[in-house]
Amino acid sequence: MSAEKAIDIKNLTITTQGGRTLVDNISLHLNKGEILGVVGESGSGKTLTAKTIMNLLPENLVCKAQSFCVLGADYLTMEKKAKKALVGSKVGYVPQNTGSYLHPMIKIKDQIADGYLLYTKNNLEEALQRARRLVSAVGIRDTERLLKSYPWQLSGGMRQRVNIAMSLMNKPRLIVADEPTTALDSTVQMQVVDLLKAVNAQHETPVLMISHDLGLVKYYCQRIVVMYAGQIMEEAPVDEVFANPKHPYTRALIKVIPSLNMKKGERLAEIPGQITAKRSAGPGCVFKERCSYCQSACERDIEVKKVNDKHFYRCALDL
Amino acid sequence: MFGYIYKRTSHAIEVLLIVSIITFAVLQWIPGDAAQLILGAEATPEKVAALRTAMGLDRPWYIQYWDWLKGLFQLDLGRSYLFGQEVVTLIQQRLPVTMSLAAFSMILASVTAIILGSMAAIKKNTTVDYISTSLMQLGSSVPAFWLGMLFIVYFGLELKWFPVAGYVSPDHGLGPYLHSIALPSIVLAIGEVGMLLRTVRTSMLDSLSQDFMDMAKAKGLASSTMYLKYALRSAMIAPINVMGLQFAKMVGGTVVVESVFGLPGVGRLVLVAVEQRDIFLFQGLVMFITMLVILISLLVDIAVMFINPRIRIEMQGE
Amino acid sequence: MAANRRRIQERFQLIGGSVLTALVVLLCLLSFVWVPHDPNAMQLSMRFIGPGENPQFILGTDYFGRDILSRIIYGSRSILLVCVLAVTAGSVIGSLLGAIAGIVKKGPISGLIMRSIDGLMAFPGILLAMMMVAAVGKGREGAIVAISVFMIPPFARLVYSLILDSENSLFIKAARSYNISKTRLLRKHYLPLLLPRLITLFTACIGSAIMIETSLSFLGLGIQPPNASWGLMLNEARQHFLQFPYLAMAPGIAIALSVLGFNLLGDGLNDALSRRRS
Repeated sequence: MSAEKAIDIKNLTITTQGGRTLVDNISLHLNKGEILGVVGESGSGKTLTAKTIMNLLPENLVCKAQSFCVLGADYLTMEKKAKKALVGSKVGYVPQNTGSYLHPMIKIKDQIADGYLLYTKNNLEEALQRARRLVSAVGIRDTERLLKSYPWQLSGGMRQRVNIAMSLMNKPRLIVADEPTTALDSTVQMQVVDLLKAVNAQHETPVLMISHDLGLVKYYCQRIVVMYAGQIMEEAPVDEVFANPKHPYTRALIKVIPSLNMKKGERLAEIPGQITAKRSAGPGCVFKERCSYCQSACERDIEVKKVNDKHFYRCALDL
Repeated sequence: MFGYIYKRTSHAIEVLLIVSIITFAVLQWIPGDAAQLILGAEATPEKVAALRTAMGLDRPWYIQYWDWLKGLFQLDLGRSYLFGQEVVTLIQQRLPVTMSLAAFSMILASVTAIILGSMAAIKKNTTVDYISTSLMQLGSSVPAFWLGMLFIVYFGLELKWFPVAGYVSPDHGLGPYLHSIALPSIVLAIGEVGMLLRTVRTSMLDSLSQDFMDMAKAKGLASSTMYLKYALRSAMIAPINVMGLQFAKMVGGTVVVESVFGLPGVGRLVLVAVEQRDIFLFQGLVMFITMLVILISLLVDIAVMFINPRIRIEMQGE
Repeated sequence: MAANRRRIQERFQLIGGSVLTALVVLLCLLSFVWVPHDPNAMQLSMRFIGPGENPQFILGTDYFGRDILSRIIYGSRSILLVCVLAVTAGSVIGSLLGAIAGIVKKGPISGLIMRSIDGLMAFPGILLAMMMVAAVGKGREGAIVAISVFMIPPFARLVYSLILDSENSLFIKAARSYNISKTRLLRKHYLPLLLPRLITLFTACIGSAIMIETSLSFLGLGIQPPNASWGLMLNEARQHFLQFPYLAMAPGIAIALSVLGFNLLGDGLNDALSRRRS
């Protein structure tokens, strides 16, 4: 319950109604003013974790946790309405840039400000004033035209800027960004992440950034959590992740970051196999089927090992 | 955009031509001879033959069809020998009744379907959902004529809330007019609402599963804003199409209800035409109603395009 | 939980629908074996006996002193006969037209067929039925022709769209690459795909066929007196139902329950089918 942490989750488990585990007993925290990167392939449970924080978990999933605090509020005991109000007024949400998060039949100006109007009691003119300021702060010049547009009239990068501006309307005390750069050009990707970083620097707003791109997260996060098949594989400050990766999966992820020093004709590295759709029910490491170091020790239950106060990993081997 | 309107309009004209061919062909098939029917069984063959020539019935069918089709495009629907009047005049006298019925029942059905259908979708798989879908299933299984009779007995005779039959024109005051049209409109609406409710529920479910609903929830918007401003807006397009089509079809589908409630509408005229075998009246009525159906569904299709801002703006750009 | 309840509802639809349709079919079979009274025997001394007033006439008697229960039992026979025959005819003609249009795809024949189907669908339902009755004549044959014409479009459209949809599926492409004959393609590959959907549509169509038949009979255009038919019974009840509302009850409930039965069964089958597909 410490007010020091923007997010503090202990032993979160999410299962389907059929009993399939999607997120397996993870603990996660986000310190004040920090940018935390959660990295993993699709299917690792990172988006579900973010959705749980945003109070957007699909109703057919069951979520259990020992403790689940966001901005000092306890989700486990909170009323539905209070949770919705907390998320709406204090948490900014930057979604995956699919464009579908903006309503295609409503003009930007009519959807950018409605959350602000609800939680600040200000009038529409003030709301639009703030929207204009934020939209130009995220690097859009012709703000008037933008506000009068429909989402489908904008490019992907523009839409994501609108999403970011929208998430900032209520001066959020926490930002959850779920793959904010998917499907954007790489230059736009950098701009989008720069924006989030600038917000973080200016207001010390903590950011939880979900991404599958370790290479991108590397430059912006202070700490990284690597997830695989619903479990946390490794957690460490960003420098240590790259200098001293302990988990084979982390190593594999680092290896697949494309480098500019690649020789011509060299194949991009890849991790063989896929996230096991049906996780082997038995004990043992969840990554063992794809791990090149796999040994007999991996068949037993894996304990979390500690390198130092900030660096943990979940591997039977000592690499 | 204009390309679409052009395509849609030419399709409508094609369908109209097909409909005219079907109607003409089917009614050519009617046993007995129009001239004989008019003159009665005891007329001499010479008289019948003379009338046939006068009516142009002895010409080849394709010339008859062509003349009839030309007439249609000038809104000349032919002449009823039963009434001795132009079919258009007969329709004009009776159209207000039928139109009122269709309009009021459509309003009732739409409001009910939108409210219940949205609620059923929002509270999917709950008691609300099951009750509203089951009620609608029941509603669309009950034949309108029987429901009409029950309503007349209960609301008309027992409770005396509504007159049991008859139509009061709005010239005699809005109150009596609405009063006379209420019961039949409700009966018609109950029959229509089921299909509409299904459409609303399905497209609302689709709308609710969209990402922008996640965003609306993440913004912490009140449920009313979420559902009214975001979900319903994109969920309404398919139901509006269905509403247009249902309204159009109701103009010809009120026969049974008009008959039960003794309303002097177009439907009653259709029934008289069939019973008395007034072929020209029937032919004219069928073509008029079907043209109306085709025209209304064409207009609704075009209107729906204008509701969608994407298409509207792209057209301004042209 | 939610998925479970959905399945319970689906089962309820299937069971409820089966029970009601079975009831109608049993009633129809019963009419061949036993009826309490001759449905057309008039006993003017026995007019307007209310339901329950006389143990001989459980549902009472009508204006002519005919036993209502016997007429209901007889009515189920005529309605099933008309509707099953009509929907069968309509489904066969419609499916054939749809199949032809789907297989020749482009070209004047396919265009003509599908445009004609569009044309048929432009008529408001009861109007098309009345037109066919006007052409063929009042009575049972007229009703059968009217309903079967009405049933052509849904079957033609279903078959046409299913064939076009599966055009691109791999197994059809594979079959085509063997250069097998078109009839064999239709029989061996499309039929298994189509059959469950056709059966579902058929069931649902019986429901709407009952609705049309009873409407026609109610308007005096379907089955003619003195034969027993539910719609006709309601028509005959019109003159007296203000004094004797019970006259309208039995036939109305019979119609509503049988339409509901076939609709429920159709919906249940449809849901079960789409769940199996997904």
